[in-house]
Amino acid sequence: MKFDNKIFKFIFIVPVIIYSVFLIALPLLYIFWISFLKNDSYGGIINVFTLQNYIDIFADVYIKIFLRSFLIALGTTFICILISYPFVLAVSHKNKKIQQILMTLVMVPFLTNSLIRMYGFTVLLRKYGVINQILLNTSLINEPLELMYNTFGIMIGMVYTLLPFMILPLYSSVLTIEKPILEAANDLGASKWQTFKKIILPQTLPGLFNGSLMVFTPALGYFFIVDILGGGKIMILGNLIKNQFLTARNWPFGAAISVFLILITSILIWGYKKIGGKMDDLGGM
Amino acid sequence: MKKIILVFLMLLILTGCTKKEEQKHVNILNWSSYIPDSVIRNFEKETNIKVNYGTYSSNEELLAKVSNAKEGTYDLIFPSDYMIEIMKNRDMLEKIDKTKLNNINNLNSSYLNLEYDSNNDYSLPFIAASTVISVNRDLVKDSITSYNDLLNPKYKNDIVLIDDQRIIIGMALLANGYDMNSTDEKELEVAKEWLLQLKDNIKAYDSDSPKNFLITKEVSIAVLWNAEGALASMENNSIENIFPNEGFALSIDNFAIPKGAKNKEELYIFIDYILRPDVMKEIISSYPYKNINKETDKILNDDYLNNKAANIPDEIYKQGSFVKNVGDSIRTFDKIWAEIK
Amino acid sequence: MKHNKFLDNICLFLVFTFLFLPILVIILFSFNTSRLNIVFEGFTLDWYRELFNNTSLLIALKNTLIVAFVSTIVSTIIGTISAYGLKKYNFPFKRVVNELLYIPVVIPEIVLGISLLCIYTLLKLELGMFTLILAHISFSIPFVIINVRSVLENMDPNIEQAANDLGANKFKTFFYVVLPSLVPGIMSGAQLAFTLSLDDVVISYFTAGPGSNTLPLQVYSMIKTGVTPDVNALISIMLLIIFALLMISAIVNLRKLKYEVTR
Repeated sequence: MKFDNKIFKFIFIVPVIIYSVFLIALPLLYIFWISFLKNDSYGGIINVFTLQNYIDIFADVYIKIFLRSFLIALGTTFICILISYPFVLAVSHKNKKIQQILMTLVMVPFLTNSLIRMYGFTVLLRKYGVINQILLNTSLINEPLELMYNTFGIMIGMVYTLLPFMILPLYSSVLTIEKPILEAANDLGASKWQTFKKIILPQTLPGLFNGSLMVFTPALGYFFIVDILGGGKIMILGNLIKNQFLTARNWPFGAAISVFLILITSILIWGYKKIGGKMDDLGGM
Repeated sequence: MKKIILVFLMLLILTGCTKKEEQKHVNILNWSSYIPDSVIRNFEKETNIKVNYGTYSSNEELLAKVSNAKEGTYDLIFPSDYMIEIMKNRDMLEKIDKTKLNNINNLNSSYLNLEYDSNNDYSLPFIAASTVISVNRDLVKDSITSYNDLLNPKYKNDIVLIDDQRIIIGMALLANGYDMNSTDEKELEVAKEWLLQLKDNIKAYDSDSPKNFLITKEVSIAVLWNAEGALASMENNSIENIFPNEGFALSIDNFAIPKGAKNKEELYIFIDYILRPDVMKEIISSYPYKNINKETDKILNDDYLNNKAANIPDEIYKQGSFVKNVGDSIRTFDKIWAEIK
Repeated sequence: MKHNKFLDNICLFLVFTFLFLPILVIILFSFNTSRLNIVFEGFTLDWYRELFNNTSLLIALKNTLIVAFVSTIVSTIIGTISAYGLKKYNFPFKRVVNELLYIPVVIPEIVLGISLLCIYTLLKLELGMFTLILAHISFSIPFVIINVRSVLENMDPNIEQAANDLGANKFKTFFYVVLPSLVPGIMSGAQLAFTLSLDDVVISYFTAGPGSNTLPLQVYSMIKTGVTPDVNALISIMLLIIFALLMISAIVNLRKLKYEVTR
């Protein structure tokens, strides 16, 4: 029996230990390690300690890219919030059955790949794409609008791809609000805005932060959206890292930017925990 | 969801049934838009060798992909002239055994034994290319003869460029009367300023298929590879290809074998297949770069031969210059590239 | 409480239009006679026939499905076992392991992608199907663990105790008592793993090699060189299957509900 127990424990614990050490901890430590090494002019890594990669991050060029990434990620988060609140509230006003159907529909686009959906957007947003054609044909505009190959196009792509990550946690936190409270507020003559500020917002705060976290951090890294809808002339952190590894052959610098990105994520997580967010909620969906 | 999984599983088993055991194969990494799918399929049919085909969009990406992967991941790659030199210096290439190639004599000797690989020990030319300015004459009436014409504020958001730092910075150097491979800091600074001036006019950078921007009227001017320009002009005859008077970039792309290639036999069969005149004709017809196969020259059709962007006349070709390995100065190029983007 | 139904519906309509517009456009252009996806010129079904001649596209689809299935199955098994192990047992550095598990959930995918690429290069692993599947497994496991754990937390510990008292050994208890009650968590974990695998671009981009081209990677390179409408046709077929399955499962659920009510 004792032996049996040991095997049992072994089977149930060893996989997760191996997994977390070899596929999570080691890769990240390795990134951390090479971020302090030098690289030679054509991409080899030299085993010499240096802080140069971290100093390089603060060059004007890169600071600009950082600022742009943050603005895009922040804007994306903000727009997602603006869309998600009315949406989840509208959903929550429907009966249970319809709520379920609607929330499943939100997930349907996800079953096609996000890249494929970005391709759909290129067909829509091009200079002579579907949207401009329609607007031109109905004489609403005389000149085609510049809808992609600029920041506007990137933002559309980002909001589109990340919107469900805001909607889902927000929806589950809206469900926790008890109907009688809302009714009471209504009976006491609270305006819509007051109800929102005093009841809905505080109740949904954990969902809001959860969603913001799940929107903001990926938005810093989605290089393919920027590539496709930005026309290769706009860079965010994700493109910068990708280029260091896949074209500029400078792994240590790419690693340093990644460490920086991990640092930002950690700070956000710290804040999230501070306001009482549960880590398990982030992966629940 | 359970059912979705079940149906997919059935599909999987169906597709799995058609799979054959340990097939002979060859792993090729090539430029995007270089060899048409049909050529690959015919090769597979004829030889029963499966082709695993990957693509890249710049020499730098190729270098990174090959060095990131384990030795022996790729069997055949297509680096340009200067990249052959770099890879050779880094001991990344294997010697080509020319005795295994029956069709090697089809190659035009004026593209052999060039500076970057003087005996063709490590490389054999595949095609030659040049950059060219393509202009949609329906939309642009002004004369365009020089890169400096592109600075005209009229063309705001109306130009697409190849996404390749050596080519574009080289273009800026040429525009200012310098050598395309200059490593002089001052000259490079001037080139950077020139590109910053151009910035507002650039709609996108794209190496893979900039012609689509022209064909879909997304832009009216493009700086692109000659085959792309030629294709655009065949698609829409108001698109004109111009070789600017300051000169332009030339490139010879080569067959090369990365160190540790595992499928030797198959890769030689593949090279030999491509060197066949009829196969090369099919490639050149789909992607009209400058042909360097003597035997193919005899059978090419007039569409190709009369298009000066495709079949670049020798006297024009001579005005171009090759990208050269700039050694450590590549860092300066990297930095300028990050700054102008 | 009074809600403005009209405003609600407008809001729902707008959001769903936004969510489905790119997909509808893709489907529409799969019937287009023109090769370029620019203007709709006329109706045709040719691209659906063409699709079956496009071997590279079909290989990419096959690879995508293999990766999604294998990684879902493996990560669901490991994730379920681990969730239980982490709840039942104490071991050195358990807290650290627990924290590590959140990393793939929260850090930007690109960091996970490059760190895996680096490790593969360091270990001299050849990039291909194996490395790709391993990467997908490694970002899916935490999601399975979290989902299974949420069910595990609510489980009555007395059931296990009772099984034990009745003489069942640990294996039997786990398979006959614990596992069945975890099914909802396991299913939602597996579903999430499957969806994430199908949706992933970034991590695949770094960890795939020759011979392991997946649909998104194929489409990525095609977006650059020009997507042909047979890709649209393929996507439309996939969507059709997904929709049909969702409908079937909705109808089945409805029946079950009715059955339970009338009983």
